[in-house]
Amino acid sequence: MAVSYVPATFEEAVRIRRETGAVPVAGGTDLMVRYRSPAGTLPDFPWPVMFISGLKEMKGLFLEGAELVIKAGTELAVIEHSEIVHPVLREAVRQMAAPALRNLGTLSGNICNASPAGDAVCVLYALGAEVELTSSSRMRRMPIEHFITGPGRTVLKDDELMTAVRIPLHSDSASFYRKVGTRKANALSKLSCTGFITVTENRIVDMRLALGAVGPMVVRSAELESQCIGMDLNQFSNFKPDLRKQYAELVTPIDDQRSTAEYRKETTLNLIDEFFMLIEKELS
Amino acid sequence: MQQITFILNGEKQVVSADPSSRLLDILRDTLGLTAVKEGCGEGECGACSVLKDGKLVNSCIVPMGSVDGAEITTLEGLRDTAEGENIISAYADSGAVQCGFCTPGMVMAAAALLRENPEPDEQEIREALSGNLCRCTGYNLLVKGVTLASERGKEKGIWQ
Amino acid sequence: MHQSINNDFLQKAIGTPVRRLDALDKASGRAKYIADMKFDGLLYARMIRSSRARARLLHVAVPALPEGYYYISSNDIPEGGENRLYMITNDWRVFAEDTVRYIGETIGLLVGPDRNVLRDLEREIKISYEDLEPAFTIDEGLAVKGGPIHGEDNIFAEYNLKKGDPDSIFSGSYRIVEDEILTGFQEHAYMEPQGMVGEYKNGKYVITASCQCPYYMRKAVAGILAVDQEDIVVSQAITGGAFGGKEHFPDVIAGPLVVAVHVIRKPVQIVFDRHEDISFTAKRHPSRTRFRTAIDENNRIVGMDIDIAINGGGYQSCSHIVLQRAMFSVNSVYDLPNIRIRGRAVATNTFPSDAFRGFGAPQGIFACEMHMSHLARALEMDDAEFKQQYFVQTGGTTVTNGMIHEEVKLPEMLEKVLESSGYIEKNRLYAGEGAAKAVGISFYNHGGGFTGDGEKEIIKARVRVSRDQNHKVTIYVSNVEMGQGFQTTACKVAAKVLGIPLQDVFFQNPDTSVVPNSGPTVASRSMMIVGKLVERAARQLKNSWNDQGAVDAEEDYVQPPGIEWNSTTFQGDAYPAFGWGICAVEVAVDPATAEVETKGIWTVHDIGVPIDDLIVHGQVHGGVIQALGYGSLEKLEVKNGAFLQNTFADYIIPTTMDFPAVESDLVENPYEYGPFGAKGMGELVFDGAAAAYAAAVQKAVDRDICSIPVNPELIMKLRQA
Repeated sequence: MAVSYVPATFEEAVRIRRETGAVPVAGGTDLMVRYRSPAGTLPDFPWPVMFISGLKEMKGLFLEGAELVIKAGTELAVIEHSEIVHPVLREAVRQMAAPALRNLGTLSGNICNASPAGDAVCVLYALGAEVELTSSSRMRRMPIEHFITGPGRTVLKDDELMTAVRIPLHSDSASFYRKVGTRKANALSKLSCTGFITVTENRIVDMRLALGAVGPMVVRSAELESQCIGMDLNQFSNFKPDLRKQYAELVTPIDDQRSTAEYRKETTLNLIDEFFMLIEKELS
Repeated sequence: MQQITFILNGEKQVVSADPSSRLLDILRDTLGLTAVKEGCGEGECGACSVLKDGKLVNSCIVPMGSVDGAEITTLEGLRDTAEGENIISAYADSGAVQCGFCTPGMVMAAAALLRENPEPDEQEIREALSGNLCRCTGYNLLVKGVTLASERGKEKGIWQ
Repeated sequence: MHQSINNDFLQKAIGTPVRRLDALDKASGRAKYIADMKFDGLLYARMIRSSRARARLLHVAVPALPEGYYYISSNDIPEGGENRLYMITNDWRVFAEDTVRYIGETIGLLVGPDRNVLRDLEREIKISYEDLEPAFTIDEGLAVKGGPIHGEDNIFAEYNLKKGDPDSIFSGSYRIVEDEILTGFQEHAYMEPQGMVGEYKNGKYVITASCQCPYYMRKAVAGILAVDQEDIVVSQAITGGAFGGKEHFPDVIAGPLVVAVHVIRKPVQIVFDRHEDISFTAKRHPSRTRFRTAIDENNRIVGMDIDIAINGGGYQSCSHIVLQRAMFSVNSVYDLPNIRIRGRAVATNTFPSDAFRGFGAPQGIFACEMHMSHLARALEMDDAEFKQQYFVQTGGTTVTNGMIHEEVKLPEMLEKVLESSGYIEKNRLYAGEGAAKAVGISFYNHGGGFTGDGEKEIIKARVRVSRDQNHKVTIYVSNVEMGQGFQTTACKVAAKVLGIPLQDVFFQNPDTSVVPNSGPTVASRSMMIVGKLVERAARQLKNSWNDQGAVDAEEDYVQPPGIEWNSTTFQGDAYPAFGWGICAVEVAVDPATAEVETKGIWTVHDIGVPIDDLIVHGQVHGGVIQALGYGSLEKLEVKNGAFLQNTFADYIIPTTMDFPAVESDLVENPYEYGPFGAKGMGELVFDGAAAAYAAAVQKAVDRDICSIPVNPELIMKLRQA
């Protein structure tokens, strides 16, 4: 039976983490489910755990310079209802699970879960979010795509806690978000697609596209995005078929209990087409 | 095992429990509050809904380690209040109760909604109940039940 | 709490709604389901199950158990007892011995007081197998892959029906249209998982269970312990939904449980968690129906050759009866000439399939409705226009060469649905727009009660209604309240006959040591058959109302006159009366994602006379949404013999957001032999919506749809074809 801790303060949490490597459990919406066990028995955690949802120091969201800071213990429902959060991220959060789960779950928990099907995580990739990691001896931050290294894998060290997600403020001309879930609500995603486009004087100054559940990790290509910079309508329309082909090569989904590889690929490409149409509209 | 102190249905409660034990098991087995049902054990069906610090949560995925210092309300703490009675009787009068297993969770979900939004429209009601599965009713009469609770509650001044 | 119950129905029509008798207890959380009940010295049991689909069972290595813990297996069945369950068929074993036939088959029970200890012990049990080659699909079963599972050919049952002269038609030169329709597994997903407690009390084995059929369970388990059926007492606990899933399957839990109680003599509880309940309980039978339909030069159907196969899984249980109903339903509401129907129930190594609301009819009706809509498309006619030409009429002939005795109100019902749904105008408009939108329609009926002479020859229902000295009335029946409202409607029938307030009529959950055997809570029979007996007993009681002391009235089933049935040849009136339904569904299909938005759902049903309007509409809504789940969301795949979707995160049932409100309408059509004119309805309302949905999507994407669930993956594939 795994040992479990309930730190009273953030400092204590950091210390327990350093001394025992106990895995932090915030909302429990992932870990309490993954390690669930029959009624009347304890969850079957394979490692020591600590429950951090009571730590007030880990909650809250605010603007700091050109960044939105979402502290790690902030519940999804708070993010969903906050006016200072980018509307696409709010929408992605609103489409996650159901109200009761959003009252428990956290964005940081989602990131640490490192599922390629995390919808809000897909939006964070597109927004260029960074994560903040804290141990007793140091604090470091890194882009989310460096933090997540594979399905269920991150570079979080045994003595570190994720303490915040930092999202650069982003202004775009138009945005695109579409989640295809297993049903209309309370659904896990079959795939998701997030796009942002910024146009100045009829030319693309910024284009971002992130795709969820189409590979082992969220797909975002800085290279393909940068090729679009500076294009006008004509250039983009000419480039579009080739760009679509290059994205198609990055889309490598699998069959599982929720959908098929074929459906995921086809639908993702259809959504990319819709996003490209939005770009053309913005350019004209 | 650890001493965990929390407010349960308005009264201070101290239980000795492993912090990783589920709030659901402590409520049902240790404290005998069986209005809280286990439908899935994975946060998908809402039969175990309770309010934690006034917010709707699934008690099957809440570890006791997260309950220390919190305020928990179960249907037992709500059913004899004007607020609880109003929702319960509105469901009963709307024909929203069939097998009844999801209903306690549906009462909690309606309570959480109506506190925030005493006059929800149909879409808002459907969204608020979207984490509570029901296999009997097809949801129509549950939605009507919440509407009726809203109308009657307004007349009675429940959310003022 | 406010306890008033509206008694307007005493002066007005019986259908005038009341507040359900169980509503406040359930909604306030006071109602005790089996997992909520307290038993002194309760022990918990975990089922030890096969992890192999087909294997020789070589050895079960059980660790040394701490004091107070037990491992129960077939070795614990007492002398003279049999390792088999007396269900509809007696082939399902209590514990697997020598071989296992499906993943999840019971091998043993681990029993003890601490659930954490049980979980750890369970992991230490090592079972060794020698794997055999399994068969999972209908085709693999029919090919006897890996050798026979059942008999020599894996056929649990095969039946053949003939109406008219199909032989001459199919040897002629008509245009033949072929079709193949598939339906998948469906999980009941009752919100309360399976559960029961067994005790040994006063020389009897007492089982308190979430179940539909207390007397079935008594019969199923008595032989295991070699005791009389009276030595087994089954008491129904408040049951949190069932839908057929608690008809026979609880017997599979009760069997090992009574063996454990026999050995340990203490109360033992088995309550499944949701993962166990989805993974290891019976499901709706998957089906494959093939049609060859002969069309003449006037585009009229002149004959149909139909071949139905259903996947029965590892044991037969009730598969042959499900097959019968699928066959009897496969012409839906149509009186077609020259029909040949072959039906087979096939043994495979999937979890045994069993009862589920509709009991074969949803499969038969879905197949027929889709095939008829494919014919309409082939002939460039609208579905409704094509199908209504063949509506059966009063005096018309069924596929068992029986007669439709009642007035058929389909034309009147069709008018109502066409109007409420805007079917004609919308389809005209959408077709003109080229929009991926359409309204689909389906027609269906469902025979109430047991097939053929089952009520008369097998069930022989008896009810008792008693009046005590205080003029309070109690109904004694073995039919259960499981959500469908029977407690309330049965009490309304008695109250209305007696002219007394509903508060003076009582209906307790049945206990086989108290109630007579009025049969199981299945087959849409509770109100139509048992409710009629309650009505008759209440009339009898009314005549002796002023007698001194307590008065009892008993009534036994009497078959309505004019019903002829041959149970060997399956010829005659398979059902005395039918419920009838029409469902229309409007959809819009997303061009990018193939997701379907359901815009509207309209139904009209003829269920005779409603005993409570609100309860009836609640059943309609619930049945239709459950059927739309079956038709669209509820994919349940088998991979290497195990269900791939085994949690509520992956087995997708509808939420509040998936479908709009069902608009439900009724036409009254009193049935002379039903209480106050009522007919069966619980299953009818499930039978048709999946086909209406599929027909709508079919029209919207202009491709034939031949299988459910119609999910975006399927639609995408069809679009690409």
